[in-house]
Amino acid sequence: MTGARVLAVAALALLAAPPVLPTYYTLLLLPFMAYAVVLLGLNLLFAYAGLLSFGHALFIGLGAYTGAFLTTHTPVRALEVILLAAAVAGAAVAALVGALCVRYVKIYFGMLTLAFGMVFYTFLLKFYRLTGGDEGMRVLRPTLLGMDIGAMPKTDYLAGPYYYYSLAVLALATVVMWRVVRSPFGLCLRTVRDNPAKAEALGIGVTRNRWIAFVISGVYAAVGGALLGPPIGNVDPTLAYWTQSGNIVFMTLLGGFSHFFGPVVGAFAFIFLQDTVMSVVPYWRLIFGAILAAIVIFAPGGLMGLAARVRPIEASRS
Amino acid sequence: MTGRAAVSEASGEALLEARDLVKDYGDFRALDGVSLSIDEGEFVSIIGPNGAGKSTLVNLLTGVLQPTAGAVRFKGRDIHGIGPVALARRGMARSFQLVHVFPDLTVQETLEAAVVSRLGRGARLFAALAADREVKDGALEIAELFRLGDKRQALSRQLPQGDKKLLDVASAFALRPEIILLDEPTSGVSTADKAAIMEILVGASRRIGLRAIIQVEHDMDIVFGYSDRIVALHQGKVLADATPSRLRADQDVVDTVIGRRRGNP
Amino acid sequence: MGGVFHAAVLFLVSAGLQVVFGVQKIFNLACGSFYALGAYAGVSAVAWFIGAGGPPALFVLPLSVAGLLCGLVGLAVERGLLRFVYERDETFQLLLTFAVVLMMEDAIRLTWGTAPRSTAGLYLVYGQARILGAAVPVYNLIVIAASLAIALGIGWLLQRTAFGRIIRASADNREMAEALGVDMRRVYARVFTLGTALGTLGGALVIPATAAMSEMGIELIVEAFAVVVIGGLGSMRGAFVGALVVGVLRAAAIAVYPELEMLLIYLIVIAVLLVRPRGLFGSAPA
Repeated sequence: MTGARVLAVAALALLAAPPVLPTYYTLLLLPFMAYAVVLLGLNLLFAYAGLLSFGHALFIGLGAYTGAFLTTHTPVRALEVILLAAAVAGAAVAALVGALCVRYVKIYFGMLTLAFGMVFYTFLLKFYRLTGGDEGMRVLRPTLLGMDIGAMPKTDYLAGPYYYYSLAVLALATVVMWRVVRSPFGLCLRTVRDNPAKAEALGIGVTRNRWIAFVISGVYAAVGGALLGPPIGNVDPTLAYWTQSGNIVFMTLLGGFSHFFGPVVGAFAFIFLQDTVMSVVPYWRLIFGAILAAIVIFAPGGLMGLAARVRPIEASRS
Repeated sequence: MTGRAAVSEASGEALLEARDLVKDYGDFRALDGVSLSIDEGEFVSIIGPNGAGKSTLVNLLTGVLQPTAGAVRFKGRDIHGIGPVALARRGMARSFQLVHVFPDLTVQETLEAAVVSRLGRGARLFAALAADREVKDGALEIAELFRLGDKRQALSRQLPQGDKKLLDVASAFALRPEIILLDEPTSGVSTADKAAIMEILVGASRRIGLRAIIQVEHDMDIVFGYSDRIVALHQGKVLADATPSRLRADQDVVDTVIGRRRGNP
Repeated sequence: MGGVFHAAVLFLVSAGLQVVFGVQKIFNLACGSFYALGAYAGVSAVAWFIGAGGPPALFVLPLSVAGLLCGLVGLAVERGLLRFVYERDETFQLLLTFAVVLMMEDAIRLTWGTAPRSTAGLYLVYGQARILGAAVPVYNLIVIAASLAIALGIGWLLQRTAFGRIIRASADNREMAEALGVDMRRVYARVFTLGTALGTLGGALVIPATAAMSEMGIELIVEAFAVVVIGGLGSMRGAFVGALVVGVLRAAAIAVYPELEMLLIYLIVIAVLLVRPRGLFGSAPA
């Protein structure tokens, strides 16, 4: 099966899920879609720019809390506004944080992003008058495209309109990222990843391109974070904790960062594997840790790397 | 370059000019008052033993380093320390002594990146690169000039050493610079390939309208065979700055540069 | 004073982190997990000791022994997992340590459950002393003294012993050390075990003053991270000074304005990374 056909099948499967699958699994697809959006952005930074951020949970938390704040403290209920606000907040914070971080590489970049992530986490945790502290903030049901569906039972709402809305956001996010990655900017970004000195010699600005990638990834993470809120109905500081940043990197690696759809596959695998494992035994971390170790040692290309017989050219790390 | 009439700048100013360059690294003086000028149409070679200051000079001329004293002017404007990106935009390109390629990019992609940069399209986030005819054609043209045409889909890291060198130089040429600085373009390459690379270089520079070439070279056959002028560096100073024939006649210089002093064969 | 106690324990863990980074250039995210392991093992060892009729005054012994023995887990991790990725990109190495974090978190939960464990007031058997008008448990002073002794011991190890010389040479220039005949595999195994043992010992020693809790590992790593950034990656002196700075500042922040706590530390970390990335004593360039 060619890549395009697999994609078509997957898309159809996602479209058909709500009426076909048991509601439990349909609801499980919601965080998958949210994380998939986050990961599309993270992978731009990781696979295409060559920068590993260990603080991206900051943006997830930022987006999630934006949604919570808007629905509980303002009359805003439209999901469109929430997502837009999350995107703007993500862009603003990423612009600032990114400007500071992208001048550094490798471990220093990782450490800086980790520190910023933990600053935000501490802020969320400690300033409880504003953020609700460790109990977090509630997220009230957003309206979708102006439709007031407040009367619908929660499960019907989530497994129905909200599901398709999320799917549409994911589809849009995917298309946009696909364009970005295949644009002249995407090519320049990869030159910066592969050989910054040579890129500069060709007149390609290293810091500038990294910064743009950072901002885009921040926007994506914030939008994904905003989508996470409504199904749970509550957001709390753990969304911004450093282990959350580690988990999303794990998802990326699980799926295979070298392939455009790798991280999305990783999110899917992670969510469903976690659910399966947790239903048997609560020690999912033990098993996941072992899986991560196995991937790092034996299959650094992730699931996509195992599946694809031809090594993808577009993005990789030596 | 050879065989092309030298046309001097209207104002009499050189294309690239270094005046009394001094570069100190702490207590160590790497360059001590180096001056040289490159005019339109010249092919200039910089030679000298290791430690003579060639790399420092190259980095100063390409705006990577700030001089401790002195000035570097390109097309009449000061360029010291402006950095490689700004310099590339102003029309100077360079290749590297240790081969620099983009390991995970193909030859085609490498050249396209250079063309994208030249056309100023690096900020286009949503345009499809594959649909950009101008970029594709520009890359193809350079690839064929450098005889990499049929290797365009090859991954850079998998290329043989000689082709990597060619790609490094080719991508610099893809910027269509006015002046190019080649840092040991034939080092690490077999003798048979060296001549081939030089022929390609000269041919390509004619095609893209290069106004001057500077190279740092150790291979004296290449140096004497292709240069209009040779600048010999020794211990941070200019030992000689003359045409090949004049230089050959100066035994002192020949000795110092090729190291025949102190009884070395 | 509590800040200095905390700093003493933090130093041990950070020293472990530094020695591993200095030689192997790996930032061991699992050092916090080893710290937690040492803590839980320490509690169990003391409980067994007391239950077997051991005199309370000697509880430090099983505590320390348990802490040190847990260092062998490091050897298992190094031989079993880490050594496969030495040639890889540092991202993969980092992620492997993250995998260890995940596994150890649940392994500890499996073994000891999720309820906090402690040795209760056992440490008070040493009584308290009055210092600067405050009552300080003598146990804390013992730990501080022990930590200082270990710091000096590490310094002596690095400067005066053959192993220490090998460590410094390998940290400086691995290829050259190998060319001179140093068996890197054994060095790496020993260094990682040493680093782990320092962490587990730190965890064990902290136990009497606090309880062993399931989150302690992942919480400590960010403090240790702050210490090595401020002190400088790979530097022992940095671990010492950094631990003091973080420990004391944190105690001061809690006393003055509890909301601040770690926030102040993180802001300092960011400032250090932006202004002087190599920290106070580090040598690695940004």
